[in-house]
Amino acid sequence: MILQLKDITLTFARDKDSFKILNGLNLDVEKGKITALIGGNGAGKTTLFNIISGYQPDYTGNVFLFLQNGKVVDMRNTPPYQSSIGRLFQSKGLMPHLTLLENMKLRSDNTAGEIPFSYLFRIKKLKKIEDNKEAEAKLLLTTFFGQDNKYLEMLDKQGDEFSYGEQRLLSLVALKMATHRLWLLDEPTAGVNPVYVKSIKDIIRKIRDAGVSIFLIEHNMQFVRDTADKVAYLDEGKIQFVGTPEEVINNQKVKNSYLGIE
Amino acid sequence: MEYILHIIITLNIYVTLVLAANLPVGLANLLSICQAAFYGIGAYFSAYILMHWNLPFIVVAGVVMILTGLSSLIVSFASIRLKGDYFVLASLAFQMIVFTILYNWINITRGPYGISGIPGIKLFGKVSMSGIFDYFVLTTIVSSIVILLFDHLKKSPFGRILTAIRSDELEVSSLGRNPAEHKNYAFFISAAFSGLAGLLYASYISYIDPTSFTLDESIFILTALFIGGIGNIKGPVFGALFVVILPEILRFVGLPEMIAANLRQIIYGLVLVIIMYYRPQGIMGELKIGN
Repeated sequence: MILQLKDITLTFARDKDSFKILNGLNLDVEKGKITALIGGNGAGKTTLFNIISGYQPDYTGNVFLFLQNGKVVDMRNTPPYQSSIGRLFQSKGLMPHLTLLENMKLRSDNTAGEIPFSYLFRIKKLKKIEDNKEAEAKLLLTTFFGQDNKYLEMLDKQGDEFSYGEQRLLSLVALKMATHRLWLLDEPTAGVNPVYVKSIKDIIRKIRDAGVSIFLIEHNMQFVRDTADKVAYLDEGKIQFVGTPEEVINNQKVKNSYLGIE
Repeated sequence: MEYILHIIITLNIYVTLVLAANLPVGLANLLSICQAAFYGIGAYFSAYILMHWNLPFIVVAGVVMILTGLSSLIVSFASIRLKGDYFVLASLAFQMIVFTILYNWINITRGPYGISGIPGIKLFGKVSMSGIFDYFVLTTIVSSIVILLFDHLKKSPFGRILTAIRSDELEVSSLGRNPAEHKNYAFFISAAFSGLAGLLYASYISYIDPTSFTLDESIFILTALFIGGIGNIKGPVFGALFVVILPEILRFVGLPEMIAANLRQIIYGLVLVIIMYYRPQGIMGELKIGN
């Protein structure tokens, strides 16, 4: 197991009434697997991701992250920048004013040289660190898109010069610049054309095979069927059903309330 | 000749001020309207140090920059997590507080009477800089070093993070970086270099009073930044050049001083409106203002 969610409850206040968006949610996310979270709009899927990665601290219950060294981290008081979790946000691509290479370097977890003027008198060392990051970025692009892929020639292009689909694809690959063992992917294929959906599918599988555990939110059931090892169905603030993609899709409750099949 | 040298000295001081403003405003998206407060704090600290101790320039500059930088922590800790309009209001409050202190704490600042007779900078402890040519050389060297330092910052991993914070602070925090910490650095550095500009100004003019460090001056610095453009080095430098040279051009047109002063304000306003409409990144800037 890489992540354990225990009795997660989150209450939103609406005027004088309160509303439990998550109500005693329990889920174990398996290590080295792709776990998909499905559920209707407004079910609380992104809210759950926000809880896990430290953006929504007002919950009750526990989020435990199991690290590779055997340590278990209670995520309650962990701010997002210390969460050690890779995250692809919903509908977000590359940083628009940074080049592709800068975008990839930004996602590296080597923060050397980021304190202002820290390498002013050691420019050579800073250059070496930057060169290593560049080599790592090129290696990743080659690994995922093959030798002589077009992105190697586009490293100096600004983030907003890429199409949305390419930005999602490249953001996903750039996450690998860090050594996080758990990734949260919020609707990786939403708004992306079928060609890139296939690429995203291949990349996610490769990342899983490299030992990264993936927890993703997705509405594209074909994508879920093709990639997920396990699917959890969220409804009424709880995980209602967990199983293989086939089991979940054939579950009567999921059919009725989510897929709209009688 | 002295007239030209005076313009260049003023330009050098404004290059430092506008580049300093570019770091929080242009890169980190913190619309700080208290840059003149830091400029003033630097000038008053400088006046005090120069009048009481016989220290070489490098030491005075270091002390003034650190003290002014530390004063920025008052704004940082109170408001760096505030976004957009809320941060603007917090920085406005700081600007007003600093001006009120400079104006009313007469025992220390001499209030509206100002401080006169500020001695010149001593380069190595003994040789005092007095002539306009000395200040031309000193301010040109200092502003050149400031340009190089800010260019280094912009191209360094720190500049990369500030640019990313400008685009998406939330995502930056998911990448293992604390945006508040980096914004604090940006604000500290900005204040420190504004303080350095204050030192150059106080020792060159040898007289300071609170009216040089008002909200109007902060807006003037931002105007220069927005006209020149944000996010790179040449934008702020061009902006400083524009606001320093324009009054001189108007002077040669031969308009009476009363009309020229008003016309200058109208031209700044008009240029800003035109730039916001047709070129939101400023004349030579890299990033769009407000994006």
